[in-house]
Amino acid sequence: MLSEFADKLQQNENVLQREAFGNDFKGMDNLAGNNKFQKLAPTIEMAPVSNPAEFLRAHTDDSKNPDCAIKIAHGTTTLAFRFQGGIIVAVDSRATAGQWIASQTVNKVIRINPFLLGTLAGGAADCQYWETWLGTQCRLYELRNKERITVAAASKILGNLVYEYKGAGLSMGTMVCGYTKKEGPSIYYVDSDGTRLKGDLFCVGSGQTFAYGVLDSNYKWDLSVEEALYLGKRSILAAAHRDAYSGGSINLYHVTENGWIYHGNHDVDKIFWETKESEKSFNNVIG
Amino acid sequence: MSPQHGSQPIQHQFNPYSDNGGTLLGIAGEDFAILASDTRQSVDYSINTRLSHKIKVISPPVTKEMKLESTDIVGTKNSVLFGTNGFSADGDALTKAFEENWKWYVHDQNSNVETGFEFLNENNEEKESFMSMQSAARNVQHLLYGKRFFPYYVHTILAGLDEEGKGCVYSFDPVGSYEREQCRVGGAGASLIMPFLDNQVNFKNQYIPGTNSTERRKIEYLSLDECLKLVKDAFTSVTERHITVGDGLEIFIIDKNGVRSEYHALKKD
Amino acid sequence: MAGLSFDNHQRNQFLQSQHNVSVKTTSTGTTIVGIKFDNGVVIAADTRSTQGPIVADKNCEKLHRMSPKIWCAGAGTAADTEAVTQLIGSKLELQQLYSKREPRVVSSLQMLKQHLFKYQGHLGAYLIVAGVDPTGAHLFSCQAHGSTDVGYYQSLGSGSLAAMAVLESEFKMNMTKEEAIKLAADAIEAGIWNDLGSGSNVDICVMEIGKDAELLRNYRTPNVREIKEKSYKFARGTTGILRTEIISEVEIDTSV
Repeated sequence: MLSEFADKLQQNENVLQREAFGNDFKGMDNLAGNNKFQKLAPTIEMAPVSNPAEFLRAHTDDSKNPDCAIKIAHGTTTLAFRFQGGIIVAVDSRATAGQWIASQTVNKVIRINPFLLGTLAGGAADCQYWETWLGTQCRLYELRNKERITVAAASKILGNLVYEYKGAGLSMGTMVCGYTKKEGPSIYYVDSDGTRLKGDLFCVGSGQTFAYGVLDSNYKWDLSVEEALYLGKRSILAAAHRDAYSGGSINLYHVTENGWIYHGNHDVDKIFWETKESEKSFNNVIG
Repeated sequence: MSPQHGSQPIQHQFNPYSDNGGTLLGIAGEDFAILASDTRQSVDYSINTRLSHKIKVISPPVTKEMKLESTDIVGTKNSVLFGTNGFSADGDALTKAFEENWKWYVHDQNSNVETGFEFLNENNEEKESFMSMQSAARNVQHLLYGKRFFPYYVHTILAGLDEEGKGCVYSFDPVGSYEREQCRVGGAGASLIMPFLDNQVNFKNQYIPGTNSTERRKIEYLSLDECLKLVKDAFTSVTERHITVGDGLEIFIIDKNGVRSEYHALKKD
Repeated sequence: MAGLSFDNHQRNQFLQSQHNVSVKTTSTGTTIVGIKFDNGVVIAADTRSTQGPIVADKNCEKLHRMSPKIWCAGAGTAADTEAVTQLIGSKLELQQLYSKREPRVVSSLQMLKQHLFKYQGHLGAYLIVAGVDPTGAHLFSCQAHGSTDVGYYQSLGSGSLAAMAVLESEFKMNMTKEEAIKLAADAIEAGIWNDLGSGSNVDICVMEIGKDAELLRNYRTPNVREIKEKSYKFARGTTGILRTEIISEVEIDTSV
């Protein structure tokens, strides 16, 4: 059945090629009815002004204009690090729009496939949208090449995509984490400026400095899996505690050669008091 | 500092948006979902209309048999309750776009035209199928993100039943970031009602008395009756304190019997 | 030095030009009216006070007394209408004690407009001034920049158009007191329903020649809130307690 599906896609190769670079393909605009849902990426409309990027900033950038009409969800702490036992990924779950906490239950880790994870920081819609899109690209790669995509290649698809949109106003800071036989466990940092870095340890988002503080001072390559999971969780906790734009709960992942393993959702309020009690830390807080 | 004439075109401030006020609220129950909104549409200090509809019931045809069973049915259990709040022109445009997508999707799903993907239907099922809430939500994300650089100025909430028949609510930011939730308020009254719902629906900041504030109150599904009371109290309260909210309250309830609607008057000052 | 300080004016102008900061004042979206009748004058106001789109006070008082028989309805910046009214009120009383004569509406109006003109519109006070004095009943309106108007009926505030629509269609010369009160209340109601900046109740003040002025607070209350569906009492112990501390009562020695 899989090969049949792949054949079908092969027939549509031409269309698909264009969909991947949808904004360059004007013919797609007229699609209606049956063909409508074959589009994977839409043509993105621009404001009819001479400088659309400036228009977008004026109406959506709440750091430039606190009274702007459209406030886009922002603010995050995410981290990922490599160690002896694979990769740990930990993120918070708060979304803010200006001073308003839009949600405390956001899912900031996108499961691209059983071996690949993407983290989400910056514009919530940008990350959610393009990382699911990345998921489809990775799946197409898999169907076409009959093997899983490497972390390097996957992160480069995303990197190239955001670079195409450079200056348009995308806002994302993401880590593509995964494991392949070829590469072993690897982490790539990709952001909307077009930066793409391979590394062992990253913290991304408005609370990154707080997370780095804890992570850097306790990190060792030889950490056991249990210790590493705790360190990831503890670093996000520190950020959630001090950064007003981070909080809610913590989602934990461990990436191994057998794919990623989810280690649950941890309520920040609950684990804060538990941590204070067990570690005898956070002594500045009364309670 | 006078601009030199003819040297460069003068860009006037282009502002295609306005704020039409109002509030939108969705709650998901165990086997039902509610989507409610006030019916005032305003701009600045003026009221455009006291009876606008911010929620559209997007439904397969309601059959005569269903009407016989209950006369006030306005949609089937496979409906999508589609609500938008913010700039009403954008809201209407988005609703229309989604409605068209929904119609084509349902048509394609049930048509006999060969698509080449029949092999996906292994059991060759004849059953009529509709759009799942999951698919509806993803489609709305694409519609919103399609205008990422010229956004729809709207907060969107969908309500309906998921594939297991459980109540579900999806909420969206203006450019398409979305999440499934138990409850959500959008628009002018969001900052006033959302904390109330956090407390009354998800029991946030509530502990079990006698446990010395160590055990949190367990979340449980609220009954339809209880939810409707919360919705009405939320709207009468926000009408007291927010000038763009008032006139009327329109509530849509979806469950296994279909969609019903209720209307309650709100204060008109 | 007496008067207002403009020390920060230039700084604020600079800040606003450089950054997106501004000083926000409580601007009362309002409906106020004044109407003359055969033997006196009546003024009326709604009771909603707003901060942006939020209702700050559902039953505030916008009718101010400047002297026992001269009253003022205020729209615009709440603090300014209040302050300017009290200031002129004090001046009127001093003048009355000095001259041993009842204060006149024209003097209060003259003092108001001179004061407001001096501040070039920076005091955002829009007022309807009315009252009775030895020369008869009077009705004026006064704008923030210092200009004034005379008329048999006046309306001001964000709901002034709605109110004026009623006044223009219903006003008659030489109405009775009761007719004037009804018309004033109807005009305010037009503002309450059709202007988002106005709401809640109608306050009225009647000033009739040869009688004491009469304040009819909440003359109409067409916006009583319906009872809630549910009670929101929490069981004792629902709120978490982090720490308990008992502070004992202390006698404070008042002698120095």
